[in-house]
Amino acid sequence: MKRKVLAAVFAMGLIASMAGCSSGQKEAVSKVQTTAAVTEAASTAAETAKEEASGGGAYKIYLITMDQMDQHWVNVDAGAQKAVKELGNVDYKWLAPDVKDDAKQIECINNAVAGGAQAILLAANGPDAVTASLQEAMDAGVKVVYVDSAASLPAIQTLATDNKAAGKTAGEEMIKALKENGIESGKIGIVNVNAATASTVAREEGFRSAFEGSQFEILETQYGEGDAAKSKDIAANYITQGCVGIFGANEGSTVGTGNAIQEAGETVIGVGFDKSDMILQLIKDGNLLATMAQNPDVMGYEGIKIAVNALEGKDTGAENFDTGVSVLTKETSN
Amino acid sequence: MNSKRQSWFKRLFAVRGMGQVVTVGVGLIVMCVVFGIINPTFFSGKNVANLLRQIAPILLIGIGQSYVLITGNIDLSIGSVVGMSCMISATMMTKGLNPWTAVLLTLMCCLIVGAVNGLLVAKCKLPPFIATLGTMTIARGVAQIVNNNYNTDAIGDGAKGFRDFFYYGKVAGVYNTVIIAIVLWLVFNFLLSKTRTGRHIYAIGSNIEASKLSGVNIVATTTKAYLVSSVSSCVVGLVICATSGMGTMDAGNAYEMYAVAASVIGGVSTLGGQGILIGTVIGASIWGVLQNGLQFAGAPVAIRNIVIGAIVVISVLIDVIVRSGKFGKKNKVENQVLDQEALS
Repeated sequence: MKRKVLAAVFAMGLIASMAGCSSGQKEAVSKVQTTAAVTEAASTAAETAKEEASGGGAYKIYLITMDQMDQHWVNVDAGAQKAVKELGNVDYKWLAPDVKDDAKQIECINNAVAGGAQAILLAANGPDAVTASLQEAMDAGVKVVYVDSAASLPAIQTLATDNKAAGKTAGEEMIKALKENGIESGKIGIVNVNAATASTVAREEGFRSAFEGSQFEILETQYGEGDAAKSKDIAANYITQGCVGIFGANEGSTVGTGNAIQEAGETVIGVGFDKSDMILQLIKDGNLLATMAQNPDVMGYEGIKIAVNALEGKDTGAENFDTGVSVLTKETSN
Repeated sequence: MNSKRQSWFKRLFAVRGMGQVVTVGVGLIVMCVVFGIINPTFFSGKNVANLLRQIAPILLIGIGQSYVLITGNIDLSIGSVVGMSCMISATMMTKGLNPWTAVLLTLMCCLIVGAVNGLLVAKCKLPPFIATLGTMTIARGVAQIVNNNYNTDAIGDGAKGFRDFFYYGKVAGVYNTVIIAIVLWLVFNFLLSKTRTGRHIYAIGSNIEASKLSGVNIVATTTKAYLVSSVSSCVVGLVICATSGMGTMDAGNAYEMYAVAASVIGGVSTLGGQGILIGTVIGASIWGVLQNGLQFAGAPVAIRNIVIGAIVVISVLIDVIVRSGKFGKKNKVENQVLDQEALS
């Protein structure tokens, strides 16, 4: 009985993963056999890529993100589309798994290569998981540009937020505000997502570095899984402990922090990350001091331009491109 | 064992499931004292109020899961129904609908999931694990699609009454969330322990064939248990929506497992037919106290996960030992099964 249940579960999982990869333009995926062997796919892709390049037509560029749900990726796509419109010679498609999953992202890369991609803008799920299929793509002549997060394989360029630098900016903003309030020491809390998300861990690292040599004591980091309700509980506990400042490392953490400060009604300085309607509202109401907004549209926009430069054999600039953050406060967010 | 000791055990643990409740109850008190010693802020009035409010949602989903576990089934859709409830209510409110209308419509949507679960399991005879795995995935999909794959915007000033009712408001110094949890607990505890439906729920969990033969309506009873689960999940979704002031698609992620943990720590058997809701209160409290207390103690989060996992196993293990009288002799088979269930 138990074995039967297990077998059924695995079967369902298999079906789900087969249906995992989807795109903004569905026909692009349906043409591709998802089960095609990687090598086969790569070699056919190389052929089609050559054909099209010699034909002198449009460049075929794919954007592959971690999932389709996050507003962040939608903004990367919007930036890319803007560049495509300006350039006029790019055939562009956005592919992404339905949920963040290494295997599904690999499928997407294989699909893009099989679909004749000449360049791929990739937001890698993790540093290592996708490198094998990425190497296949590069061997087949596909130019790879990383947007948002890089894999460990060297590519044309990485366009991303320098999360550590951005975290440090967040820390400096907090210290500035605390000093303006005449606070020179006290406890600081950090609400992070989890210990495995490289981007938010780097933000925390940067944030902590801003406090080096100061009188402030940073407490043990708590993880709220990016869940606004869990993060609110954590932030409320920090406030009970007497924290003077709280840092939220992503959208959910920041919303939770803002809500906790709002409820406590105390002068706790909250600084966060990412931009959403709710966060801007909390800033407007004075419950959060500032949020570090990434510039995903810049990643998409510049990413397409770099990819086209690479395809045309032009200079692509330095290996890393910091797309920076915008510090949004009550004054600057309107 | 001598007879004197036997009878002492017998009297104390006369109520089925009381044994484990007493054991983990003592554990809970010890835990609170230790946290209080490590950091006295733990017992401050402000933290106790906060702590109770942090326990309330876990208790609510725990009640739902306990009902289903007692019928001998499981409900994996809890977390997704929480997310669905959060997203549906928030989306409707951002579209300018009256919050209370939104709450009613959300409740109806969640009840549909409960009804489908019950029918799939009892009427169509699907294994509960599979049936609710399916509805879990569907409900999460619904949570994602209602606002076109985005978290919602802020639910706005019009929903202030809603936010106060479910989360921020207080009555006599106690947060509304806690009061809601207590009221629902009283209602559902009454239903389970004092009514015929309640007895039927225990009956089909203990021996489904025998209850069928004695005329218990299996489909109706199982469906009622799943409906309780979906109602309590719905309320938690509304609480989360009120907490954040927005709808998040990921809300309630993994809550079904928190609910299993709260139930199992509190002595509800995953094999069905056994458990009392006061146990779920203790189970949920242990969960909440650990979450809160370890943050005050400055412990890394990984420690909390290890501790909670260990408590799930140990609390069930202790109960097995106490009930069997001797470790692993008479009840060796049951022991192993319980162990496995607790881990899975």
